[in-house]
Amino acid sequence: MRSNYQIVTGVVLWFACSVVMAVPTIQHWKMTNGAHVYFVATDGLPIVDARVVFNAGSAYDGRYSGLAALTSSLLDQGAAGQNAQKIAEQLESVGAQLSTGSSRDFSTLSFRSLSDPNALAPAWAVFKKVLNKPDFPEKDFKREKQRNLLSIKRREESPGVLAQLALYKEIYKGHPYANPIQGDAVSVAEISLVELNNFYKTYYVANNAKLVLVGGISRQQAEKMAEELLADLPSGQKAAAIAEVDDLTKGTAIHLEYPSQQTHLMYSLPVMAHNDADKFALYLGNHILGGSGFSSRIVKEIREERGLAYSAYSYFHPMVQKGPFLIGLQTQNEKSDEAVSAVKQTLLDFIEKGPTEQELIAAKKNISGGFALRLDSNKKLLGSVVSIVATDTPLNYLNTYLKNIDAVSVEQIKETFQRRLAVDKMVMVTVGQITGEKK
Amino acid sequence: MKKLLITVFILTMFYSLSAFATAENTPNIVHEKVLKNGLKVLVKEDRRAPVMVSQIWYKVGASYEYDGITGLSHVLEHMMFQGTDNLQSGEFSKIIAENGGRENAFTGADYTAYFQTMEASRLEVSMRLEAERMQRLKLQEKEFVKELQVVMEERRLRTEDKPQSQAYEYFKAMAFTSSPYRNPIIGWMQDLDDMTLADLGAWYQQWYAPNNATLVIVGDIQAATVFELAEQYFGGIPAVEFKAVKQRVEVPQLGIRRGIVKQTAKAPYLLMGYKVPVLNSVEHDEDIYALEVLSGILSGGSSARLVANLVRGSQVATSVSAGYDMNSRLANLFLFDGVPTQGHSVDALEKAIIEQINLLKTEPVSKKELDRIKAQVVAASVYEKDSNFYQGMQLGMLETVGVGWQKSAEYVDKVKAVSAEKIQYVANKYLIEDHLTVVYMLPKSQGPKGESTQELAHAQ
Repeated sequence: MRSNYQIVTGVVLWFACSVVMAVPTIQHWKMTNGAHVYFVATDGLPIVDARVVFNAGSAYDGRYSGLAALTSSLLDQGAAGQNAQKIAEQLESVGAQLSTGSSRDFSTLSFRSLSDPNALAPAWAVFKKVLNKPDFPEKDFKREKQRNLLSIKRREESPGVLAQLALYKEIYKGHPYANPIQGDAVSVAEISLVELNNFYKTYYVANNAKLVLVGGISRQQAEKMAEELLADLPSGQKAAAIAEVDDLTKGTAIHLEYPSQQTHLMYSLPVMAHNDADKFALYLGNHILGGSGFSSRIVKEIREERGLAYSAYSYFHPMVQKGPFLIGLQTQNEKSDEAVSAVKQTLLDFIEKGPTEQELIAAKKNISGGFALRLDSNKKLLGSVVSIVATDTPLNYLNTYLKNIDAVSVEQIKETFQRRLAVDKMVMVTVGQITGEKK
Repeated sequence: MKKLLITVFILTMFYSLSAFATAENTPNIVHEKVLKNGLKVLVKEDRRAPVMVSQIWYKVGASYEYDGITGLSHVLEHMMFQGTDNLQSGEFSKIIAENGGRENAFTGADYTAYFQTMEASRLEVSMRLEAERMQRLKLQEKEFVKELQVVMEERRLRTEDKPQSQAYEYFKAMAFTSSPYRNPIIGWMQDLDDMTLADLGAWYQQWYAPNNATLVIVGDIQAATVFELAEQYFGGIPAVEFKAVKQRVEVPQLGIRRGIVKQTAKAPYLLMGYKVPVLNSVEHDEDIYALEVLSGILSGGSSARLVANLVRGSQVATSVSAGYDMNSRLANLFLFDGVPTQGHSVDALEKAIIEQINLLKTEPVSKKELDRIKAQVVAASVYEKDSNFYQGMQLGMLETVGVGWQKSAEYVDKVKAVSAEKIQYVANKYLIEDHLTVVYMLPKSQGPKGESTQELAHAQ
């Protein structure tokens, strides 16, 4: 399912005004080896969710692009002498779930179990092994590497994926964010178990770890579980800061010829890091521009007025260093020129004139009125808390959010967009077929 | 947002009550009321957060369509956002947004559903708007012309430019002969091209009525309040007289069907499907639950057989899964799909899957394996309660396909009752070659004339 609804990922951006809703209390403590633990107690469901976040995303790959992702995917493929089958059987025989993942900034392990001790205790013990004692068996390493290589090859089946890769390559030229998270065929082929083991030893350490626990357990239980899971991790070093992103120096248009019926269009530049001073103005502005589905200008102009695309959107994706502002859509090849002009014009208009007072009021109503929806399940709660703590956002973020959103003015959005979005430096990527009558 | 298209495929859903969780932790009470005009209202109270989801399900979808009008239900779903007698085009969405809500809709083979998730006190807003578009949709040529373009773009995005999705479309068209499941939910491009405003008007008149709908509300609300509001907003809408829906039962398959779909792809892809019954197509349901557990044995988690033996073991597959949707309206397929590893062919992957099926036919599954699947079902039945939306979806879907929402309460016990012998029995009864359809999706060659490639057709 693909929807037209794009939300800024990576930060929590909502608050209540008319609704009286308890904002979750995030309890925080630091373990003696340096690991940070964050806990939210919930009641109502006998479930425990946990996620461990390491500053160990693909930005730390070094010369072996794809290393972070491969390391992460192998954690549960053999640990403490038990093979992948045994690990999966132990978890699944009590209905527990464990998964791993990597982004450009972070690598994570996510866990879910019933809180019943008969399920939770054995499952948590397996989680501990996977996190502390991965074996990286040769056979599994070779297999996962081959699977990654095939998956890299299959990226070429998707014009959307190709567009995004080309975009990151251009807007982050010379920066580790330029590389695909999964790496490329050459770099992945070069990775050996030596690199994998080194990567694990360097980054999967307590000073580089944050654990978030959400569920129907007591503080005492949470402390005990955190100790059990993380106390044996060596302290190690917190990962070095990721290099800053250079500003783009000139606008570029890149076209990749591809035999698809649609042209995928992405128009972008790096703008916002976590905890950016302008984030509320940028977020609200984008909500109006292209971040709120059918209420947004981009959808109105591209889809409702012109029928050019099923999905059209804009977002800020905040990252540890400046993440992209991105406008995207897909349209039949014959219409791609029209779509390019419409997107540019919509953005220029917005930057020049800013939003209307009515648009801002509607956006604030939508954000505040929908606040409760963003925290209405354990799963969403976990995601929200992870977003806050992984990015070193103050823990009272949710408590002050209303004030911050409410304080944003039309003038401020206009001024911020003019200052932060250098339209003449933006990169336009199109992937599709150039048709006869154009270019 | 709106207008998602749900293609139920390789999807195993587990739901219902739990052995680990205690009853007070997981209330599972559904309140039902049927209004005089036939509208069925289902309410499940969940007070964990001050929110609610409101879903209205109509008994119409792609499987109600016939040749020449495929995709009509889905285009109508799009048009439901484009204005009524009292709402401008887009105003519905605007009101929901200003109330802090999220909304969307989806069309499946057997249903069309619309939903809003909102802070609980806004329930009345969603009811008022849904009642309005149930009876006063204003179909306008200008909006239709534009929205049809949008749907065609949606089809290009989801199908034309996605090799595996398009292969699946051809696969279904080959597997089914007389069943409407042979048509894609989004419709064939030619049928979209030929669609008229009059087609939509007739379809709306035919199916959008209170006695063809189920309203499901889950969240921090009182059942009594919901029933009152439902009466207030929907109670005055007249019922419509329906002709019996044509049954269109699939004719028996009399031998294996094979096909090749050549695509602009980098890796081959395998699709296999056996004709099997579903809950709604049988009198006695034991076989259905056994097939459900069988799909778990093959594909329920990363300890299950297909991943264990074909991805990690023989490494013939880079990905492979089995899926069975027991909750469709009409008899359906027990599906397999997978991508072979480089150096292995789709043919080799097919043989490996058949080998796994044969094993199920000849040897009973172990108790340990069976218990593991059942434990996952029990846990999943608790996890699903973390989502109001999912709980509503279960009730709405079961009711709309004709199974009845009450069935959800039986699920865990019925799964638990499945024995190793019964699994062996259904494997032998249903997973037979004469009822199988196989499609190989092969990458087009790089050759100048597009002739088929050799490298992928032979086994290693």
